[in-house]
Amino acid sequence: MKRFKFIFSVLLVSIILVACGSSTDEEGSANENSNLDSTEQKEESNTVNIEKTELNMALSVDPDGLDPHRTTAASTFQITSNIFDTLVTVTPDGEIDENLAESWGISDDGLSITFELREGVVFHNGREMTADDVKYSFERLKDEESPRSGDYANIAEINVIDHKTIEFVTDSLNVELLSNFAYPWAAIVPEEAAEDLRNHPIGTGPFKFEEWVPQQQLVLTKHTEHYDPASLETVNFKMMPDVTSQVSALQAGELDIIAVNGDLVGQFEGNPDYTILENRSNSIQLMAINTEHEALADQRVRQAINLAVDKQALIDTVWWGYGEEIGSHYPTMLKEYIDTNSVLSYNTDQAKALLEEAGYRDGLELDMYLPASYPAYVDAGQIIANELDAIGIKVNIEIVEWATWLSDVYTDRQYDLTVVGHTGRLDPYDLLARYHSENGENYFNYSHQRVDEILTLVQEEQDDAKRLDLYQELQQILAEDVPALYIQSPITLTVTASDVAGYTSYPIDIYQMKDVYFTNK
Amino acid sequence: MLSFIVKRLISGLTVLFFISIITFFVLRWMPGDPATLSLGTEGTPEKIAELQEVMGLNLPWYQQYYHWLQDLFSGDWGSSYVFGEDVMTLIIQRLPVTLLLAAVSMVIVIPFAFIIGIMSALFKERWVDYIARSLMQLGDAIPQFWLALIFLVFFASKLGWFPVAGYVGFDNGILASIHSVLLPAIVLAIGQVGPLIRIIRSSMLSSLEQDYMLMTQVNGLPKTLAIVKYALRGASIAPLTIIGMQLANMLAGAILVENIFALPGIGRLLLMTVEQRDLILLQGMLIFVTSAVVLVNILTDICYRLANPMIRFGGNHE
Repeated sequence: MKRFKFIFSVLLVSIILVACGSSTDEEGSANENSNLDSTEQKEESNTVNIEKTELNMALSVDPDGLDPHRTTAASTFQITSNIFDTLVTVTPDGEIDENLAESWGISDDGLSITFELREGVVFHNGREMTADDVKYSFERLKDEESPRSGDYANIAEINVIDHKTIEFVTDSLNVELLSNFAYPWAAIVPEEAAEDLRNHPIGTGPFKFEEWVPQQQLVLTKHTEHYDPASLETVNFKMMPDVTSQVSALQAGELDIIAVNGDLVGQFEGNPDYTILENRSNSIQLMAINTEHEALADQRVRQAINLAVDKQALIDTVWWGYGEEIGSHYPTMLKEYIDTNSVLSYNTDQAKALLEEAGYRDGLELDMYLPASYPAYVDAGQIIANELDAIGIKVNIEIVEWATWLSDVYTDRQYDLTVVGHTGRLDPYDLLARYHSENGENYFNYSHQRVDEILTLVQEEQDDAKRLDLYQELQQILAEDVPALYIQSPITLTVTASDVAGYTSYPIDIYQMKDVYFTNK
Repeated sequence: MLSFIVKRLISGLTVLFFISIITFFVLRWMPGDPATLSLGTEGTPEKIAELQEVMGLNLPWYQQYYHWLQDLFSGDWGSSYVFGEDVMTLIIQRLPVTLLLAAVSMVIVIPFAFIIGIMSALFKERWVDYIARSLMQLGDAIPQFWLALIFLVFFASKLGWFPVAGYVGFDNGILASIHSVLLPAIVLAIGQVGPLIRIIRSSMLSSLEQDYMLMTQVNGLPKTLAIVKYALRGASIAPLTIIGMQLANMLAGAILVENIFALPGIGRLLLMTVEQRDLILLQGMLIFVTSAVVLVNILTDICYRLANPMIRFGGNHE
């Protein structure tokens, strides 16, 4: 009996070995270095290195498919913005610029917009792009399978005027309409490839899709017929979930660009082999407050919470100081931003007094839910809980998985406090709409009459100055009324090898690899 | 005999069936679903409901299960929500990475464990034994994720002996392929080697105390020959049986090292499927892995029986 067990164990091991061996028949020369560009020329000049055209960049997660019309994941748009073009595009400063459309005009009533398309644009499959493709793409984006369909429901008619002219007619006035054509999900796709865009995207963008091996790499190659061709021939996105591995791989020369957090940036500081890029980002991080909770419905309690937290210390501790303190739901980089930090600044005595006034002299107990996949939010939540404890609010922390957070906290609104981040939009309305009492994304359960009014008025107000006033009034209300404790507008950190140039960040979450090149440095 | 094989097959299939029902039910019962995750903070209850309908998630779990089972029988394993790729394609893509990782790790563990284990038994309660046992304890105590990071920073990044991350396919040559998984395999091996040394040491000790060892001495056999020919043989059976079981442990370890070393293996895929609630892919992977285990078990049982008719299963008399 024992002898047979022995034999079968040996058999089992050998089966596994054979299984491995069988796929190794085509034995080639052992090439131990997977990085083709390991040698760098160190010359003191800043010209384009025409020899080095392959860039490696780390990504922590795979994209949620590559079909820009069928997802809301930033991880998808970061990549698809290189494969697909949009009618207009956004500059790093947030201005709208031409892309597939060379010019556009808005009718006097503001209800329709006409685009003149660029001549000679071809898809990666060789076919010329026409106004029919634009019409098809927006119909696909408005389709019920599209998670963004609601954002484009206002477009009532799409009229192809000739093969290079197209008109969009809207139901009601939307003064920020143009920005809707700049988002990476408003991508122009060819109908014949629409079935398989998720895995085999075909667009008109500066890079063609080459290969995607999930959890390993995603390769893009240059689309030579693009109207503004890229410098790089190949971009390899390498999927590496662990940040320490990313840092090590950059140091070993296997990567050229990585995104890092404040804790890891220190080791690159002062090192001439690397460039550290600090960019303000169009996003904010906050602690949401469920305003339907009995105690939290009281403005004084919410204000007390705000007064009890030393935001700057929080930013220094959790984000290593890489962030800008905010007092309202608005990223500092956008032009409508006003500084509301002084409305309720750190003051524990005042916090205690307010809490007492509200009738919670004996304290209060709240439940805080923190998403485990975002360690920074977990850390921030724990520090806030500690500070709230000092004014007599006992916080019970529960750390939940992201999936649980989304369904229980965000969708079902079963929480008292939670820490999370929100990515910004180009259009201030999209950014703030969730504060409308009827909005489906209003997980604060927030209801404020003037806020609802403002959110209705801004949609029809054509005067830029008046609209600006309304948005700033709204920021002021949020700062005073505290439907959330607004923490910071983060600064994103990117570390590149020092010969990488042209990498910039945008007010929407995209990577624009077209402008990136290597220098001869 | 035939009825025995049929019985084993039926019981194997029953196991698979229940495993698939349990995972399907548990995953549906867990909060969060692929539609909610896909929409993230853009999701509203209406949008989520619409997407669930498109993905077929609005049906009760037993109906979804039934559809899945139907497709499975027609050879369609379905496709991943997250990657959109066929489940079978993904599994086949990943399998060589994890198998190679496990195999290389085993190749390191087995000789190492045998040498240390035997030495430590032969020199029981002497300094060799003490060092071996201390190392064993250390190997057990060091957290693998920590070791992985230290190795990564030191051997891959600082010394540049190994690639930091990623897997080199077989088409670049078997050596390059092994080289790309060597460092994680060593980390995995260090976690596995402790228990194996312990078993080899104890079975070697008991084997040395057997009567036949006394007999070899009586017969004047040289000590080395007696150890190699008799003691070692007797001591090998127990460790080799558990090596098979340790392969399962390795899959658990693989989840960790594959993530740190960015290897596209089964372990990393498994973790993603749970995090992202990629139900169809997870279900496919579980069926694949459990089928393999069940199949090997059935084959083993059949062979046992063929070789030794005294073994009866279920106590039936044929």
